[in-house]
Amino acid sequence: MTSHVSAALAPGGDIPAPHIEYGQIMPILLVLGVAVAGVLVEAFVGRTWRYTVQVPLAFLGLAGGFAWTIVLGLRDETHAVAAEGALGVDGPTLFLQGTILILALVSLLLIADRGTGSFAAQAAALPGSEAEQRTTAAGIIQTEVFPLLMFAVGGMLIFPASNDLLTMFVGLEVMSLPLYLLCGLARRRRLLSQEAAVKYFLLGSFSSAFFLYGIALLYGYAGSVKLGDIAAEAGRDAGSETLLLGGIALLALGLLFKLGAVPFHMWKPDVYQGAPTPITALMASCTLVSAFGAMLRVFFVAFENLTWEWRPAMWGVSIITMIAGAVIAITQTDIKRMLAYSSIAHAGFLLTGVIATSREGLSSTLFYLAAYGFTTVGAFAVVTTVRDAGGEAGHLSRWAGLGKRSPLIAGVFAFFLLAFAGIPLTSGFTGKFAVFKAAVEADATPLVVVGVISSAIAAFFYVRVIVVMFFSEPEADGPTVVVSPATAAAVVLGLAATVVLGVLPQPVLDLAGHAATQMFVR
Amino acid sequence: MTGQEIVFALLGAVAVGSGIMVVTTRQLVHAALWLVLSFGALAGMYLVLTAEFVAWVQVLIYVGAIVVLLLFGIMLTRAPIGTAPDLDSGNRWIAAAVAVATAALLVTVVVMGFGDAKMPLEAGGGSAEALGSAVFRTWVLPFEVLSVLLLSALVGAIVLSRTDIGGARSRGKGD
Repeated sequence: MTSHVSAALAPGGDIPAPHIEYGQIMPILLVLGVAVAGVLVEAFVGRTWRYTVQVPLAFLGLAGGFAWTIVLGLRDETHAVAAEGALGVDGPTLFLQGTILILALVSLLLIADRGTGSFAAQAAALPGSEAEQRTTAAGIIQTEVFPLLMFAVGGMLIFPASNDLLTMFVGLEVMSLPLYLLCGLARRRRLLSQEAAVKYFLLGSFSSAFFLYGIALLYGYAGSVKLGDIAAEAGRDAGSETLLLGGIALLALGLLFKLGAVPFHMWKPDVYQGAPTPITALMASCTLVSAFGAMLRVFFVAFENLTWEWRPAMWGVSIITMIAGAVIAITQTDIKRMLAYSSIAHAGFLLTGVIATSREGLSSTLFYLAAYGFTTVGAFAVVTTVRDAGGEAGHLSRWAGLGKRSPLIAGVFAFFLLAFAGIPLTSGFTGKFAVFKAAVEADATPLVVVGVISSAIAAFFYVRVIVVMFFSEPEADGPTVVVSPATAAAVVLGLAATVVLGVLPQPVLDLAGHAATQMFVR
Repeated sequence: MTGQEIVFALLGAVAVGSGIMVVTTRQLVHAALWLVLSFGALAGMYLVLTAEFVAWVQVLIYVGAIVVLLLFGIMLTRAPIGTAPDLDSGNRWIAAAVAVATAALLVTVVVMGFGDAKMPLEAGGGSAEALGSAVFRTWVLPFEVLSVLLLSALVGAIVLSRTDIGGARSRGKGD
């Protein structure tokens, strides 16, 4: 993409060609390149072949990007800015990008699963119309899902890596726009899905506007949008305090919206419920990792000298996010909405790691993100397998007695719920322990007390689901469990990661610690 | 007060005034035309600030393309042309209060932030050359990624609107 620009301008002379470190940003280029190739496949490959071409292409792109990230991580010189200072390539970024790519691979297993048929045959057909029935009966599938997915993943890779706010905004939009679209493509309950997409789009545009205004104010303050320059200007304690504080507040608003922190969480339950479940799995894992990566970079680099200014507000946000997420989740009766509120509560736990603003805080947040991502993908994979005649059995009452009907799948789901609750020997415990330890060391003990209390509240509704599954009588016309190989693979991967990160967490903890040693580049 | 400042203030008044007309007029087409005036005044303000390239881009894209697109949109969706009393929503006073409060907040922040700070105007600061070297050198990566964003938006628009598989026309999604 960039090569033709530099080639076209170099002979002219006046503008020197930009210097792009292709090797260091290859994972991003690879994923976006596969997305563009996917668009070409849509244009030139016949309908019968598209699915068979798109799926391996997407797998290769994500796996290639992941392999390249590992190679970059193994070399020691990865602490530099690339592409004219637009992207930072450093330990935390590579860890986050690797996590996003591997979680996207697991989500792709769910998305590519033809058996569950989560996506609309034709998104443009009116819900309930004759056209919709006809296209569904004809077995058409909307293979545009794959390039859109790759675009979104490309944006997710750029978002936490961007070294200036402008690139960050572009990454945010590249990540969000395909997700808005993908949310509206659910095969069942089309109206709910479209409502979710419109809600997500409108609220997301609003938060993007706030984010952009925050960038403008910070530019007014520092005269630059580079994170390092903003930090230097703030360290000099010059310029207008109003612009700086206004900028921090608006920027944080945009980022907190993407994390789904209270009070910017309103979209999360509706969108998680309405979106096709594989896309929900993608959003709950990869988008959260990416948004937290950007949050960490902004607050650890640009606002590092201003911890006294933003910490009190973050304390408040973190506390109400943990408590509200856990308490409202108790009242939910839909399994996907419940998992959405659980995700909100986990965003609160993760924020305690951000508030610690220490090396331990960074490494523990990185570990928590990886651990939580695998567990949540696995949990949503299980949700896709429990099916009624009309699609997934979303209502909690339909899950009654699942433990008697299908002990294996109910047992696996129970294990994921225990991991969310943070029971020892699961990855959830290790992650929570790590972030809370970092927070205590950074003198945020009250925050940790609130965190432990809301973990206990959250454990109540996780256990309630387990009780419903194992200790109530199954209904006569209860849902059936349909497990196809791809979904089974996703569940097994999620389960394996949850067990391994719970029982033998040290290698990954070391990896996260090693990634965090040099902190972020600037 | 210099001539530049007077012209700038007048153009600002025109932009705000026509912006108010956009949201208060009862005719849809008139609103689009008032928008032309608002965008044009904004382009004039860019010109006064010596950003001539930005000014022409504003004219070409906002006045030339976006408003024309809006007019086409009104025409093709067969919206009623002429006075439409239902353009006013019942929430308009609440909306006005929110808008005024937001404007007051933004103006306060900018006034408190910059106050009487003066920046000398430099000729050529917003020229095509300066912008070109910024876009194609410092900002080349975000610039190229933006083209990817446009591509994904195009693909998404096709996904949401292409009905030729089933043959049925569907217009106005979500109703």
